[in-house]
Amino acid sequence: MDTAISKVVIVGGGTAGWLAACRIAAAARPSAAHPITVTLVESPDVATIGVGEGTWPTMRATLERIGIGEAEFLLACDASFKHGSRFHGWATGAADDVYFHPFTPPLEADARALVAAWQAEAAGAAFADVVTPQSQVAGQCLAPRQRSMPDYAGALNYGYHLDAGKLAALLMRHATERLGVRHVRDHVIGVDRTETGEVIAVNTRDTGAVAGDLFLDCTGHAALLVGDVPFIDRSDVLFNDRALAVQVPVAADSPIAAQTDATAHAAGWIWDIGLPTRRGVGCVYSSAHMSDDAALETLSAYLGSAEPITPRRLTFRSGHRDRFWTGNCLAIGLSAGFLEPLEASAIVTIELALDALLDDWPTRETMPLTAARFNTLFRYRWDRIVEFLKLHYVLSRREGRYWQDHRDPASIPPRLAELLALWQHRPPTRADLPMVDELFPAASYQYILYGMGARVPDPGPLRGGPLPSFGPIAQRTRGMVATLPPIRAYLDACRAASQPIAMEHMN
Amino acid sequence: MANHVLLTSDDHRTLRITSERSAALGDAVMSCLIVPSEFRRVQNEYPILFRLTPQRDRFQALAMFGFEPGENLFLAGERSEARYRPLALEIQPFLIGHPATDGGDKQIHLDLDHPRVATGGEGVRVFDDLGRATPYLETIAAQLGELDAGWQASEGFFAALARHELLEPLTLEITLADGSTNRLVGYHGIAEERLQQLDTVALGELHADGYLLPVFMALASLANVAELVERKSRRGDLRG
Repeated sequence: MDTAISKVVIVGGGTAGWLAACRIAAAARPSAAHPITVTLVESPDVATIGVGEGTWPTMRATLERIGIGEAEFLLACDASFKHGSRFHGWATGAADDVYFHPFTPPLEADARALVAAWQAEAAGAAFADVVTPQSQVAGQCLAPRQRSMPDYAGALNYGYHLDAGKLAALLMRHATERLGVRHVRDHVIGVDRTETGEVIAVNTRDTGAVAGDLFLDCTGHAALLVGDVPFIDRSDVLFNDRALAVQVPVAADSPIAAQTDATAHAAGWIWDIGLPTRRGVGCVYSSAHMSDDAALETLSAYLGSAEPITPRRLTFRSGHRDRFWTGNCLAIGLSAGFLEPLEASAIVTIELALDALLDDWPTRETMPLTAARFNTLFRYRWDRIVEFLKLHYVLSRREGRYWQDHRDPASIPPRLAELLALWQHRPPTRADLPMVDELFPAASYQYILYGMGARVPDPGPLRGGPLPSFGPIAQRTRGMVATLPPIRAYLDACRAASQPIAMEHMN
Repeated sequence: MANHVLLTSDDHRTLRITSERSAALGDAVMSCLIVPSEFRRVQNEYPILFRLTPQRDRFQALAMFGFEPGENLFLAGERSEARYRPLALEIQPFLIGHPATDGGDKQIHLDLDHPRVATGGEGVRVFDDLGRATPYLETIAAQLGELDAGWQASEGFFAALARHELLEPLTLEITLADGSTNRLVGYHGIAEERLQQLDTVALGELHADGYLLPVFMALASLANVAELVERKSRRGDLRG
């Protein structure tokens, strides 16, 4: 009896749906006994929500696997480079309260030795400035690479800022024109299931039933296929539930910010993401701690513009499904869950879900096993993201009810509380985050912990590893600052280099 | 054509130099002047030949990249396949400047009309925002220094070669894979027989002045002619 899973049906055509379609179609082996076919059903009636405009470095491998060139991606998505995140006002709210969370890990060293060397050599300097060249390269709005380098290679680890709507459009063209994905533009009016709940087909208004072996629910908050799976609310840990979003045009020759800027306010924070043609700015807040009017005022004050603004209003609930893979149906994207975009975890969670699916492609027989393993792995991952986001709040010394509530022990996940107790006496180490593909490795915890001004642990009674020297980092910083082009110049040169090709197409 | 100016951190604070290699950037040349102190590095890659200056008053040493004017067989699109590039090529668009008054320090000059002077915002910076030299400029300065010292040492080197009659005319006839023949005419090479006949006093003298090593390096470098022919033949294949 044949048990191959070959007919994949993706419901929903946003970032999640098209990323899934591209990854699966690009990974399929055409000469297989039962070649995989991918069908994406997208409702023409439903507008997609662009989830996040910041990616992780993982997006480079994703695009490479899909087969899209880096210059094509950058130009098509109005994209730019991201070196990491910069946090303003999170620790105390003072004017000089700023720290950087770079994508590049610190130089290779035992965690205790690294922190000891930082204290010994450069206690006055910020941790992130000493252990990697990235914050200084980002501070000058420089690209992480030169155009002559192979695609997706960089002098530093980097991700992107992008226009999520344009990314979905690029992926759609790529999937349908180059990867053979079938695109059904139709409204889903029902779902056929077996008695045990397996999905047989989705019924569409004009195309009829679209049958498959494996269904991916990429329908966002609607969660058309997995809506019955219980939702685990995490708003007891992460209070923010609303956002006001605006777009601000920028001058064509202005420097493009090389990091996501996240500025804390009385009851939340403001994101600021620079693209070549505009900035995306949004005020995230907790409706229990701040009124909509106050949030609007906060956003206006941040923008410093006298003109009234009319932001898009978003409402969300922090949380995720109890299970993501149920029967032959896997939730990817917002249908799986949503957390505030403080560390741009939305797209990377999609990418990791697709990695996991493709790393362990199920058969009909093994699907229950694969699903159970997937669910265990992603419950772990969602828990880790929740804890890592919470870390940004619990270390704050800001006053006010919102920040005090965030430090209430009842709101802190027990595992995070345990780690924080340990980190009073030693830095975060790899053993604290033991999975192979941790979303946030020990290095990320170090960056947040010491960026937020957490007390640096004493050396303790044990001998650590040899103290690393930061001299090579300073040398590399000088070299990079001299050789890397400004992001604006890089993207302008990309555009200039692509012009002749565009004209050829026109002829 | 050339537009030489003195390099200063005030005038050239934001200057960037293109680091790619291509014909448009001035890399399509069949040879490059070299100095004896770099023969050891040059012989690992290129044949070293000698030629009289156009004024026929003295000899110059050359690293050979091709067989006809404008032909650099190490250039592949926007990349150089060479592991070592001679100093005189590496330092472009910079030059050694001589101060107006005798005895002053040598200066770094810049050819503003050189295609390596970047205009689009990409390229390697020469000074940082505070006007300090970047690692790139430090390297350039060291290379200019070595080149300047090399030019000065060349005089003694060629005088010694002349004294011992160690240069002889050399004609290289090269047959490519497709049977066509190329000739390199007008060059000189080390006179190997004369070299072998030198007595120990002469050899000791050459060695004491540091000239013996470059002489042997130049001799050994001729083994690279075969590889250059190979490169030329491969290009022919590609065109055919």
